[in-house]
Amino acid sequence: MSSGFSGDETAPFFGFLGAAAALVFSCNFFSFSAENIFPRKSMNFITPISQRFVFSGMGAAYGTAKSGVGVASMGVMRPELVMKSIVPVVMAGVLGIYGLIIAVIISTGINPKAKSYYLFDGYAHLSSGLACGLAGLSAGMAIGIVGDAGVRANAQQPKLFVGMILILIFAEALALYGLIVGIILSSRAGQSRAD
Amino acid sequence: MAGDTATWAHSLAKISPYTFSAIGIAVAIGVSVLGAAWGIFITGSSLIGAAIKAPRITSKNLISVIFCEAVAIYGVIVAIILQTKLESVPASQLYAPESLRAGYAIFASGIIVGFANLVCGVCVGIIGSSCALSDAQNSSLFVKILVIEIFGSALGLFGVIVGIIMSAQASWPTKSA
Repeated sequence: MSSGFSGDETAPFFGFLGAAAALVFSCNFFSFSAENIFPRKSMNFITPISQRFVFSGMGAAYGTAKSGVGVASMGVMRPELVMKSIVPVVMAGVLGIYGLIIAVIISTGINPKAKSYYLFDGYAHLSSGLACGLAGLSAGMAIGIVGDAGVRANAQQPKLFVGMILILIFAEALALYGLIVGIILSSRAGQSRAD
Repeated sequence: MAGDTATWAHSLAKISPYTFSAIGIAVAIGVSVLGAAWGIFITGSSLIGAAIKAPRITSKNLISVIFCEAVAIYGVIVAIILQTKLESVPASQLYAPESLRAGYAIFASGIIVGFANLVCGVCVGIIGSSCALSDAQNSSLFVKILVIEIFGSALGLFGVIVGIIMSAQASWPTKSA
């Protein structure tokens, strides 16, 4: 039978794992820029570089990279639109901030000297970090792909700018849902031990 | 535990129900949002590409993006419901059968909702993408393909219903038990 091992000593492991998951999944694992790995020849600026992307960037890194490639490709022919097209890149960066918020909330909540940190709290923090991180990862993928398509299409048809922004806002909201659930879950972490 | 021989059942029963609950809640929101994001980028990239030559389709076809967003909202709702079911039990009862059952129920509910919303989001996204492309060619097709999309979005609702019914099973043992 369970020999009285309650596992409370291992609780901070799960808490910190949650904080790490929130940050790693939403920001950055390691990301390569397409320019460094596959230098483009001047004739190739229309080729779909996305098929040659082999990197494990996550979330904000993917969003920044994918839409940044689109901006760079588009900017060759329409340099005046580049500053307007930075919007998807900025929105992808915000995802990293969401992960940072949850990671800070979790890591300041792990303080066994101030308040006992039980297994329940550890798992609540793990769940919170995973929820925020995975949602940020997904939203980053969506922002990257939609941003890439959007900036390229905006260069050809200026009426599409508003439509692109609307779709990007819906994609950004996904990461916000993850942040909300993450904050709710990490607030449960203090409520353990019905002894 | 019955018997002294080591079986796989012992290793399963020694995993804390808090583990299962935490993973279940994270999967409920995380995988639902993955489905929604997948659908949004499938629809969004097609919509934006088709709108280059037919910019009139943009505002009507945003409804496909909204259907995908609804999938993420289902995931949020169920994750919030599940986290209210998450309770702390005294350490002596952590591995009691009733509390293991509660942990498994929350895990299962999360898996149900998460993966149902994942496939729903992908489905609605693919339909929305072809809806945009065909609307750009012939605007009478929009409403007809939207009907197909509504059938697709029902999949996520099925997942939410079953997940909520399953989460009602998650009753932790009380202190007196």
